[in-house]
Amino acid sequence: MLVASSLRDSTSKNNDTEETIVGVDMDDFPGGSLLEYSIDFDELFAGLDEDPDALPDLEILGDYYSVSAGSGDERGQSSDDGNDVVSGSAGSPFGSGSGLDTSSVCSPSEGAAVVDQAEEVGAKKDGKEHQGHFGKVKKLAASAAKAGRSSKTGRGDGKRKVKVDWTPELHKRFVQAVEQLGEKAVPSRILEVMGADGLTRHNIASHLQKYRSHRKHLIAREAEAASWNQRRHLYGGARAGGVGKRAGVSPWLVPTIGFPPPMPQPLHRPLGPLHVWGHPSGGHSQSNTMWPKHIVPHHHLRPPHLQPRPVWAPPHPHHLPYGPSQGMPCYPSPPQRFVAPPVPGIPHRAMYKNDPRAAAGQPPRLHPPLDSTPSNETIDAALEDVLAKPWLPLPIGLKPPAIDTVVGELQRHGVPQIPPS
Amino acid sequence: MGDHSSASYIHMVQHLIEKCLTFHMSKEGCMEALSKHAKIDPVITSTVWNELEKENKEFFESYSKSKNEEDRMSEAETSELIQKLISDSSKDSKE
Repeated sequence: MLVASSLRDSTSKNNDTEETIVGVDMDDFPGGSLLEYSIDFDELFAGLDEDPDALPDLEILGDYYSVSAGSGDERGQSSDDGNDVVSGSAGSPFGSGSGLDTSSVCSPSEGAAVVDQAEEVGAKKDGKEHQGHFGKVKKLAASAAKAGRSSKTGRGDGKRKVKVDWTPELHKRFVQAVEQLGEKAVPSRILEVMGADGLTRHNIASHLQKYRSHRKHLIAREAEAASWNQRRHLYGGARAGGVGKRAGVSPWLVPTIGFPPPMPQPLHRPLGPLHVWGHPSGGHSQSNTMWPKHIVPHHHLRPPHLQPRPVWAPPHPHHLPYGPSQGMPCYPSPPQRFVAPPVPGIPHRAMYKNDPRAAAGQPPRLHPPLDSTPSNETIDAALEDVLAKPWLPLPIGLKPPAIDTVVGELQRHGVPQIPPS
Repeated sequence: MGDHSSASYIHMVQHLIEKCLTFHMSKEGCMEALSKHAKIDPVITSTVWNELEKENKEFFESYSKSKNEEDRMSEAETSELIQKLISDSSKDSKE
């Protein structure tokens, strides 16, 4: 095949090359013959001539190449990578701002071309260590880079170089065409609908692929954000102002304690991670008498908007909506206290962290007393626990600040060194 | 002072603060507690708290709102509680 022989000739050093770049398998190329691809070798090697060991400038490509070089089926990989690359290097249409800027965006077809032709490239220029797996990738990068910059460097010789500039305008037409065609959105038809002269079917094909992958990505992300948002609203989001969608995860939802299933109604109190639920040992009846003392601390668990009521309606054994598997602890007044049945579920789950302690048979000392100032011993115990076992997961799992930022702030406040000596 | 030790120290402080948060403590309470029980300079606690707040705005907003409500409720509830206790105990004593 076109590549193999020349490769074999030229690369005596690198075994990899011989092993891997053996014959170009046409099937790997996304539709189209090799001849469709063009590569400007002059450009490609321009920079390389000066320094035989220089690698093509990969930085331009940014995340264009998140390719890992070392895998089995290199050709297969490179083709795939070509596709990934293509989708990753979105110019403005996809807004994924990678290394190449729009004006010199490497046409997708070129990207693919580059991948496929990396072997040829490899063939041409030997003596580089990276010629094996990396070689393809990096050559690919180089040619993409150079191709992308051809307009700037003026080195393009114009022969069979298919360079498509996917401007927002063009992309819009593309998207419209795709939507119009719906399921029938195949490159040839899109081309027809778009009626764009300068575009080849191949340009469209690659762009389409990119577009679809991008959409999938977006949808997945949105779905995730939606589910997080739902939870967030359920867990006090109502009070948090129902902030607009955030793809990020609210700290409420990342407790290491584990999180109960979404509740049908928003809670006015942030339950869950913040609330340390006690777990009295025995049955309810037993703990009843004890509870009066301990329930007091729990009062804060009640949604504030509820009418204040006796904290413990005596026997509450009846139905804890979740069928208490194990004495739902602070439920002295569950049904009355909580807005929604599911609520008790939360503490139940959120509790397991405290179960071992509670199971020791003591009413949780972890509950803040009535005036909401936790007892000193409680705090002390908890903090010591952290100090002693730093590997424990964070109880809430807040997003940590950047270390540098913190260090900087501390220095500004007169703390030059941490940990302090 | 290497990066790692600063990072792990800060992580530890965050962990401690989070513990305090589970107790619904205030920032000042937290500073005091950490200083007292973990010998952490309140300035450090305060700084880390602030940074955490910046990174987790929603959480802290929610947190302080619930804290306010809790504080407000507590008095009413306390007195009610006490009354109930009194009436209960007087009932008990009669029986």
